[in-house]
Amino acid sequence: MQEHEEIVRAENLKKTFTLSKKQQKIERTGERRRVAVDGLTFSAYRGEIYGLLGPNGAGKTTTLRMLSTLIRPDAGDAFLCGHSIVKEPQRVRDVIGFMTSDLKLEGFFTPDYLFDFFGAMHGVEKAALAARKRELFSRFGIDQFAGVQVKNLSTGMLQKVSLVISIVHDPEIVIFDEPTNGLDVITAKTVTDFLEELRRMGKSIILSTHIFSLVEKLCDRVGILLNGKLAAEGALETVAQGDLERTFFALYEGKGGTL
Amino acid sequence: MKFLALIKKEFYRFFHDPRLIVTMLLPGIVIFLLYSVLGEEFNREEEARQYRVYLVGDSAAAEAIADAAKENGDGVEWLYTDDASAAREEVRDGKASALLVFSENFDASPAGHVDIVYDASDETSTAFYSLAAAVLNIYGMRFTVTAESVTGAEALGMQVLCNILPLLIVVFVFSACMSVTLESVAGEKERGTLATVLVTSAKRSHIALGKIFPLACISMLGALSSFLGTALSMPKFMGLSLNMLGTYGFWNYFLILLLIMSVVPLIVSLIAVVSAYSKSVKEASAYTGMLMILSLVLTLVAVFVPALGNWTVAIPVLNAVVAMQGLLAGALPVWQSLVSVGVNLALTAVFVFVMTMMLSDERIMFGK
Repeated sequence: MQEHEEIVRAENLKKTFTLSKKQQKIERTGERRRVAVDGLTFSAYRGEIYGLLGPNGAGKTTTLRMLSTLIRPDAGDAFLCGHSIVKEPQRVRDVIGFMTSDLKLEGFFTPDYLFDFFGAMHGVEKAALAARKRELFSRFGIDQFAGVQVKNLSTGMLQKVSLVISIVHDPEIVIFDEPTNGLDVITAKTVTDFLEELRRMGKSIILSTHIFSLVEKLCDRVGILLNGKLAAEGALETVAQGDLERTFFALYEGKGGTL
Repeated sequence: MKFLALIKKEFYRFFHDPRLIVTMLLPGIVIFLLYSVLGEEFNREEEARQYRVYLVGDSAAAEAIADAAKENGDGVEWLYTDDASAAREEVRDGKASALLVFSENFDASPAGHVDIVYDASDETSTAFYSLAAAVLNIYGMRFTVTAESVTGAEALGMQVLCNILPLLIVVFVFSACMSVTLESVAGEKERGTLATVLVTSAKRSHIALGKIFPLACISMLGALSSFLGTALSMPKFMGLSLNMLGTYGFWNYFLILLLIMSVVPLIVSLIAVVSAYSKSVKEASAYTGMLMILSLVLTLVAVFVPALGNWTVAIPVLNAVVAMQGLLAGALPVWQSLVSVGVNLALTAVFVFVMTMMLSDERIMFGK
């Protein structure tokens, strides 16, 4: 495995949304357009966990959605395993696993059926799919719930099922939007342990979070995102300067944020 | 493989949910029961009737009407006259059952027509009218009705009911398509499960077709159920002898089926596009309701406006209704039916393309 092989490269990503009248009313703003991501440039390397840290509305989810090709950047581009999110979105989707609370599983189906379905959607061969199902279902304790309809699963189990389905095709890059949000401590530990395991396996992980401890525990590199721009970026130790939380709020206040 | 997986998923969803199956097949059973009961009521065995009918002009159709009456155990006494006004008075006074006025050279002229004068308040007169209208319908003849003392729904008679059959088929087809498509497309979009599919490497065109194709097949089951319900209850409903029903040959039924099979994917793809555009099932239902009303208006045009002309083949849904009316009237408008099928399928392809584009449009898929 090549040391420090660049596997994700975002170049000057920009995304602007038009606010509807309803949104303007809710947010009590007269602005018609909202810059969600403003010239974002960063790199992530093979076998590392890259964390995008920022408050709500900083542009984390928008960035991850652009990287996963669900939305297109207004300007700039990003390359995942060398594939452009603008020009080769389908190739990008082949090499990523994306998990966010916005992506749901149909309650009617069972984890067993959905695993097979999404495996087929990613073009995984049947034998490989069966082996991977055995491995992942056992690893996450899903096997005894494999035949239960998703709508009848507990929140924690549902999160685990969503997780294994997002990586059914053994992707090179795993993108997680707020991976531990809403999870109980046991499930959250299972998820974070698995992310570390994925890193050991040489996978690259990009996650977004607003939890300092999660970044400190998991991430090799971090980008602090404020108002759609990177306020700081680099190795965790360099950015944190001994105290990530203090550094973050110093940057936040420096950008005009108030507590 | 990805396309097949999508198709299999839709079928699995449908065939493993008994409620969906019942919803889909129920219309056909309802049609069968409804038409059978109505037919029984319309054509209840009664004492033999003796019709006294004035005839102005002549046609082979009169003979066919007399034969049909004879098969029902009734008789017709033809009273030849040139004085239509006096005959009309007798119908009004209940002294005669009806008056038939054939235009000059009726049998030879393609523009020929028949005036039927009957008394809607008189049971025997109405029964004769129903019989004559059914025979003229099956022979594909043009006729107009002049009714005295028209008193209610009875006056609508068999002619209108025959015209309404295609309308009912369209309504049931639309309902079948709505029940599965709204849930599968708008429902999945609303719940966020469609986005989970969009993040896989499947092509957008495969996802669009992977939705529309199985949904059209499932809706077809509902449509076939309605079609069979209609076809099987037709003998009772029409109150005609099986000999006369023989006029509906294999090709009549085949073309009706083909027309239904072209309307189903058209409506499914249209509802799929509307559902993909909508933010919720509720919104999609509202739009689809409007589309259904539009379809009904089109079919009502076909019911109440006679001789619409060939331009109707270019109008989706209306083209199928007009062609089905011709087929049910005993005619065999082959080219009209085939062109209608072609137009409907071409439009379906356009809607599949539009849905593909919509699946790639983040404002539509993920817009708040």
